[in-house]
Amino acid sequence: MTKMPGKFTRIAIANRGEVAVRIIKACEELGIETVLLHSEADIHSRAFRMATKTICIGPAPTAESYLNIEANINGALAGGAQAIHPGFGFLSENADFAEAVTKAGLTFIGPSAEAIRSLGDKVHCKELAKKAGLPLVPGYQGENQQVANLITEAERIGYPVIVKAAAGGGGRGMKLIKSSAEAAELIESAQREAQSAFGSPKVFLEKYLDRAKHIEFQIFGDSIGNVAHFFDRECSVQRRHQKIIEEATSPSLTDDLRRRMGEAACAIATLGKYKGAGTVEFLLQDGEFYLLEVNTRLQVEHPVTEEVLGVDLVKMQIMTAQGEYIHDPKMIRIPRGHSIECRIYAENPFLGGVPSTGLLGHVEWPEGPGRRYEYGFDSGDTITPYYDPMIAKVIVWDENRPRAIQKMIRVLKDSVVFGVHTNIPYLIEILSHKEFVMGTMTTRFIETYFADPIKEPELNEVEKKLAAAALAQARGAQTSGTQASTSPWASYWRGI
Amino acid sequence: MDVKVRIDGVDHKGQAQLLQGTLWVHVNGRTFTMDAGAGRKSRKKAGAGGSSDTVSAPMPGKVTKILVQTGAELKAGQAVLVMEAMKMEYTLKADIAGTVDSVSCAVGEQVALGKALVKIKPSAE
Repeated sequence: MTKMPGKFTRIAIANRGEVAVRIIKACEELGIETVLLHSEADIHSRAFRMATKTICIGPAPTAESYLNIEANINGALAGGAQAIHPGFGFLSENADFAEAVTKAGLTFIGPSAEAIRSLGDKVHCKELAKKAGLPLVPGYQGENQQVANLITEAERIGYPVIVKAAAGGGGRGMKLIKSSAEAAELIESAQREAQSAFGSPKVFLEKYLDRAKHIEFQIFGDSIGNVAHFFDRECSVQRRHQKIIEEATSPSLTDDLRRRMGEAACAIATLGKYKGAGTVEFLLQDGEFYLLEVNTRLQVEHPVTEEVLGVDLVKMQIMTAQGEYIHDPKMIRIPRGHSIECRIYAENPFLGGVPSTGLLGHVEWPEGPGRRYEYGFDSGDTITPYYDPMIAKVIVWDENRPRAIQKMIRVLKDSVVFGVHTNIPYLIEILSHKEFVMGTMTTRFIETYFADPIKEPELNEVEKKLAAAALAQARGAQTSGTQASTSPWASYWRGI
Repeated sequence: MDVKVRIDGVDHKGQAQLLQGTLWVHVNGRTFTMDAGAGRKSRKKAGAGGSSDTVSAPMPGKVTKILVQTGAELKAGQAVLVMEAMKMEYTLKADIAGTVDSVSCAVGEQVALGKALVKIKPSAE
């Protein structure tokens, strides 16, 4: 019988960046100390400065630090923690890690290893979904991985077909097959990528829905086995199968669809004996929805749900792991207003999104009602090439979707990040696009309208004069508008 | 630092910072950069368009695949090598047609921003 944990006094965080900061904040509110398990590359980060204790668990490469199960558990034990919060990414959906944490006498803040195994494996999850009567995208999830057999199955399903890594995520090991001519090559390539990225060449096939919307439901299993959903998010704006902009609630659902999809999400989570925060992802096309996958962890986009419902999902996770969070039907909330999240990536949008690394200079996130920022770095910290390019998330809330879009554009324009380039100009163009404004975007939105790098606009006269004045000022020269306007530097601006 | 210029009697304000030879400026909701090197025009945009005879690293990262050999014929736009940084793969392409003159990197090598990776001898017109 599993021993019910007592109240935690110290929690280890097996993660980095903005989610580590987010967990530290929740722990502080609950009066819990934190132990940050970090790599050598992250000693100049916000989480490092905020945590009660820090323990270095290895060098920069993730395989030797953030993905090293033993190092994380030893670090948590050495730090005197009673539990480990895995955040998202890294080991958050690793059933072996969840199991090892429990075996070490610690509490894993998340679902059980059994639930991660049954719902986290994409193929197994679909089998479970069949039992729960959930609609699935037509496809093939069989054991016969011979290329010839997979081609036969692809022909049966009908092109276009998408081939995906069974153990995959984040777009790796995923290929779109448009015709039989390219099937063999793309299936073999997906198998190679799957083997390289996830240690297993197993793939499965799905009919590619070319006008689909990506809708997901936040689910939460409480301490005694009740599962409820916390409404929906829309995450259709994706590049290379990675989300860029998310919002709650979806502008695409009718009341009836929302009710049916919410019930389906709860049904599969209940069957998987789910505890804690998770997400059931669906594709929606022509009024029909299909199960895509279940993410057995907190999601990057959880803040938009928190904003429209006034809940704290991270605190709820911790309280559930302590055995003290139980859904209160009287507290079931109705989503209020609209929330949007933009992921800020350290990349150059004018050069096709190439990563931008380096020392962060001045950083400023403008304050105001309905604005929230989640970030892991401050001025003086270094953005390294070792990890994910996401450096911050900007979240806004307003009374309705048009106002939330307007607010987000303003907030992005007023945000200042010096030292690395960011995708902020790219996000502003997306938010201003008529398809996004109308809420009619599909998962092909980016490839349809933003396939090419966006163009950097020429500097106007004011910008040139201000830049020249700034350069003169930086060099300690006397500055004036007249001097600036004649400076030879004015024409040397560029995107680096 | 805060910066202000007066143009036709109107004050315009912005923020700026000089960081390692690059001036960063934020004004009117836009951030842009400017090379602060004395008398030098902008550095070549490494590996990113234009008509360079050199494919350079557009970012710090690891070389994961080299797709060409010295002496190989190249078409403009042809993929020459693959790099990885921040968990993403990037394929670098040749700007011009020609012959591969030299390859100055190895698979697995961590390269710095702007490092010349492949030199191309342009084909005669």
